[in-house]
This record gives sequence, C-alpha cells and structure tokens, in this order.
Amino acid sequence: MGNHDPRRLPARWGAELNTRLLEHADRVTEATARSVAWLTALMVVLMVTVVVLRYAFDQGAIPIQEAIVYLHATVIMLGIPCALRDGVHVRVDILHSRLSERARGIIDVAGHLLFLVPTCLLILYFSIPYARNAWLVLEGSPEVGGIPAVFLLKTLIPVMAVALLLQGLAETVRRLPIILPSHFGSER
Amino acid sequence: MVELIPIFMFLAVFAALLAGYPVALTLAGVALLFALGGMAGGTFDGRDLGFLPGRLFGIITNPTLIAVPLFVFMGVMMEKTRIAENLLSSLSRLMAGTPGGLAFAVIVVGMLMAASTGIVGASVVTLGLMSLPTMLRDRYDPAFASGTISATGTLGQIIPPSIALVLLGEVLSNAYQQAQLNQGIFAPDTVSVGDLFAGAVVPGLILVGLYLAYTMLVAFLRPGTAPAASSVADAVPDAVPDAVPDGSGWQLLGGLLPPMLLIVAVLGSILAGYATPTEAAGVGAAGATILAAAYRALDVGVLRQVCRSTFDTTAMVFFILVGASLFSLVFRGYGGDDLVHSWFNDMPGGTWGALAIVMLVIFLLGFMLDFIEITFVVVPIVGPVLLAMGVDPIWLGVLIAVNLQTSFLTPPFGFALFYLRGVAPPTVSTADIYRGVAPFVLLQILLLCLLFIWPSLATWLPERIYR
Repeated sequence: MGNHDPRRLPARWGAELNTRLLEHADRVTEATARSVAWLTALMVVLMVTVVVLRYAFDQGAIPIQEAIVYLHATVIMLGIPCALRDGVHVRVDILHSRLSERARGIIDVAGHLLFLVPTCLLILYFSIPYARNAWLVLEGSPEVGGIPAVFLLKTLIPVMAVALLLQGLAETVRRLPIILPSHFGSER
Repeated sequence: MVELIPIFMFLAVFAALLAGYPVALTLAGVALLFALGGMAGGTFDGRDLGFLPGRLFGIITNPTLIAVPLFVFMGVMMEKTRIAENLLSSLSRLMAGTPGGLAFAVIVVGMLMAASTGIVGASVVTLGLMSLPTMLRDRYDPAFASGTISATGTLGQIIPPSIALVLLGEVLSNAYQQAQLNQGIFAPDTVSVGDLFAGAVVPGLILVGLYLAYTMLVAFLRPGTAPAASSVADAVPDAVPDAVPDGSGWQLLGGLLPPMLLIVAVLGSILAGYATPTEAAGVGAAGATILAAAYRALDVGVLRQVCRSTFDTTAMVFFILVGASLFSLVFRGYGGDDLVHSWFNDMPGGTWGALAIVMLVIFLLGFMLDFIEITFVVVPIVGPVLLAMGVDPIWLGVLIAVNLQTSFLTPPFGFALFYLRGVAPPTVSTADIYRGVAPFVLLQILLLCLLFIWPSLATWLPERIYR
C-alpha cells in the first residue's frame, strides 16, 4: 500500500509541519521586527535630548545616554535574526546571482547547518555563563546614576543566539521544498 | 605547517564566500571550523574563544558606533522622502541651459548624499534611478552618463560624514592604540573618527573638483556628449511637486538650501569640535525628519519604512562586525598577527613595500567585498603592523578609503558597475559603462598618487583643527 511506503508518509507530515512551523515563525519574526524597528526613531529623539541638555542647559544626562546604548544594543541583537529572514545580510554575489533557485537553496541550507548552527551554539556556550554571572550580582552601570541593568544588556547575547538559531532552522525548513521537490511537491 | 594555518584560514574563507552565503556567518563559521579542528589536533587553545562574549558586548555598547544607525536613519529619511531627489531636480533646473549642467548637478548631489549613505550599492542605485533616464533623454552620451553616475555613487566612501569613515575610524583608532602598546608606549596618542573625517575633507573635495573639471572639459570639447538641457521644464521631472512647482528663484532655494545647510551643519559641528560624530548624527537624523515634515513628505507610513530600513541596515552592518570578531579571534589564536608582522618586516622596500602590498591586496579584495567587510576583517590585521612601522593613521585611513573607492569603480569587477548595470536600461551597453568610467578611474589614481606624494593633503586639516 502506498501508505506504508517508508518514504511517503514522513514526507507528507514534513510538508504540513513545514507550513505550520513557518507561519508561526514568520509571524513572530515580523511582529518583533515591526515593533523593535521603532526603537531607532526613539534613539534619534533621545540623542537630540542629550544634545539639547548638554549644549543648552549644560547638563549631563547619563541615564538617557545609557538608554540610547540599551536601545542600540536591542536593535542590533534582535535585528540580526530578523534580517536573516528578510534576506538583507550581504552576500558575495559574483557567482550566487547566476545560480538556479535550487542551487541557492542548497547553499543556504548547507550554510545554515555548517556555519549558522555551530556559531549560535558556540555563542550560547560561552555567553550563558557570561550572562549568568551578571545576573548573580545583578550587575549595574559602571557610571554613577547610570541604568542598573547591565545584566539585561548582557542577556541580549544569548537571546540573539537562540533567536538566530531558531530563525536559521526556519529558513532551512523553508528551503526544503525547493531543494527536495520530490519529497514536498509530489502531493499536488 | 601550523604557522601557515592563518593563511589557509584566509583562503578557505574566500573560497567559502564565493558560494554566496551571508558574509557574516561565513566568516564566523569558517573560523569556528578551524578552531574546532585545531582543538581536536591540539594546535588551538579553545580558551581563546572565551573572549567572545566580552567582544560581542563591546561591539553592541561601543559609543562611537551608535553613530551608525543614526547616520543610516538620516540617509534613509532623505532618500525615502525624496529630499535628495528634490535637491537634484532643483539643482538641475538651476543649471539648465549650461552644457554638462545635469552632470554637474548629479556630482554635487551625489557628494551631498554620500554624506549619509556610504553604502556603495545604495547610492549608485538611487542616483542611477534618479538621473540616468533624464540624462539619456537629454541626449547625454550613455558612456559619459553612466561613468558620472557610477563614480559619483562611490563618493560615499570618502566624503565625510560617511558611515564607511565612521567604521574605518573606529577600527583604526583601536589599531593605533594597539600598535603603540605593542611598542611599550603606555600613554598612547589617539586618533578618532573626527580626525579621520577631517583628514578626508581635503582629498574628498579635490576628488569632486577633479570630477567637475573633467565634466567641464568634456562639455566644452565635445558638446554632443553632455548637451545643455533643452528647456527648463525638461530638466528633471519634479520629485516633490509641492516643493518645486515652477522654476522661480525662491522655490529653487527652498529645495536646495535646507538639505545643503543640514549636511554642512552636521559635518561642520563635528569638524569644529562642537559635537561628537554620534551627537551630530542624532541631530542630523532629527533635522532630516523635520525637513521631510516641512516638505509635507512625512507620514506614519514613511516613518515606519525609514525605521524598518534603518533597523535592517544596522543589523546587517553589526552582524558583519560580530562575524569578523570571531574570525579575528581565531586568526590571532593561530598566531596570524605574528605571521603578518614578520612578513611585513621582511618585505623588500620596508614600510613602503608593506604599504604597497596592503594597498594592492585591499584593491583586489574590493572586487569581492564591500567596505564594511574589508574594514572589519583586513584593517585590524594589517593596521597595527603598518602603524607600528610609523605610518600616519589618518593618512592610512584616507588611502584605504580612496583605494577602495577606486576598486569599486574598476572594470570588470567593480561593485558600483554591477549596481548601475542593474538599474540601467538595456540601451546602455556594459561596454558603455566600462568606457564611461575609465576616465574617472584615472582621476582616482591621480588622487592616490597625489596622496602618496603629499601625505599632508590628508594630515594637514586634522592637525590644524585638533592639535
């Protein structure tokens, strides 16, 4: 019977899981990107505030300055996984642009598995203890009057690694139908 | 064999990059594979990788680099709300009737736009879309038109305040400190992003002057190549009709003066030492937003696009920095620094020989990699060695910037040419583009020669301002 073909059954599961997983992942990523992107405008506003306070009122504004650093770090660390989905990370496209869609899919999947996953795991391996040490002492600002939440800032590093790992897996799943059409496209 | 591993790392990374997987992850992944291989074989100390979280934390909290998202915001705002396009249309109206007038306008606008974009692809594409169709319609020679646009699009590397110079300044500043510490100088001189901005002003203006002079020469000698716009109305279709409804003087000034003043104010406040590059970038971003609102080109949708684009570009730039820092950690762990050092010291011709080799390598790498990657991967490796040999850091920075810009323009691999090809109509042949850009490449080489003969072209202004 067709149903007992060991190659067909998991394939159909795969196709369904594929679509559902991707829909979820894309929704989360898009929502994150949309909201975090606004922080760049907030950075501009706060920077102008710092400048006005400093030049017009001769006032330092360490908490605001540090707030800009926090926003900046958040934009970068959450932006990296979102940018992977949006495909904005630069590539050397001398050869890439001439390849077929399938060849590009294979390169992406190979890259995700060979480069992205190990890199994320490495960052996690070292940054979890790094962040944990900061949490243990609830590490604060080196500046007097600064924002006492450096431990949160350091937590962004493992957060980025996990988010990038998940996004990398989602992108791998997304490419599967392109590089393995016999497993995914055969239903219709 | 073991001491040659850094070279294999370099070769492996360039082979892997050619596949076209994102650069940041290729750098990180190849480095990691080498590190794991070395740990298995006992030639690499895995504890070196333990510095990674500290490095990453340093990258995301670096106060100078906060200027990057702010400058990107300013540039994207001027592009998306068509302030730049409007500037071009005003200027070309002003120049209508002058042979080569449109080319003049493109060069001047490109110079001003360069200030805030600094990513080669973006400025060439924007300029190409804005001005190539009009130049062709005005019967400009396609080769001359595409040469002008490609060359002007790369000015973003050298005209401050460009993002490229912010990144290069930051990397050189670290390299300079390290070079002095290695020599046992514990109260090192510093070089800042502001210094590099100041150093790039004179060479940048010389370059723009050379471009303009060449255009004038062409328009004078061969009027058929760069004719005067047939009529004012034909010059450039209005980008923002509200702002430039007709050609009257006040309307022209309205489209022309505010953006120019904004850019001059941002650069001026940095050079005069009133503001740090980061502060100036913040004020510039706010200024561009206010300008957009004044031209009635701003609404929530546009603001959302600007924020999103800033967000993506920022992530892209910093991710390369993340990948490059892992790469250089492993490269150093394998003694790559010492290898480069001993190579350079044995180089025939001493400092000049070393400098020439570095410039050649960077020129060739420019065919493949954008400014950001070269700044983060190559400069931290060769910078400290060259600076320790007594090369002036500002001069080195300006040389690298002009050199890369030349590389981006040189056929057949120059980046800028690919981007222009992408937006040029089929009536412009690739051979046209190559032919048109050749004179500009010669002008670039002329500037490089001038800089080699008179380093003070780069170092004079910073010394005047800061010392």
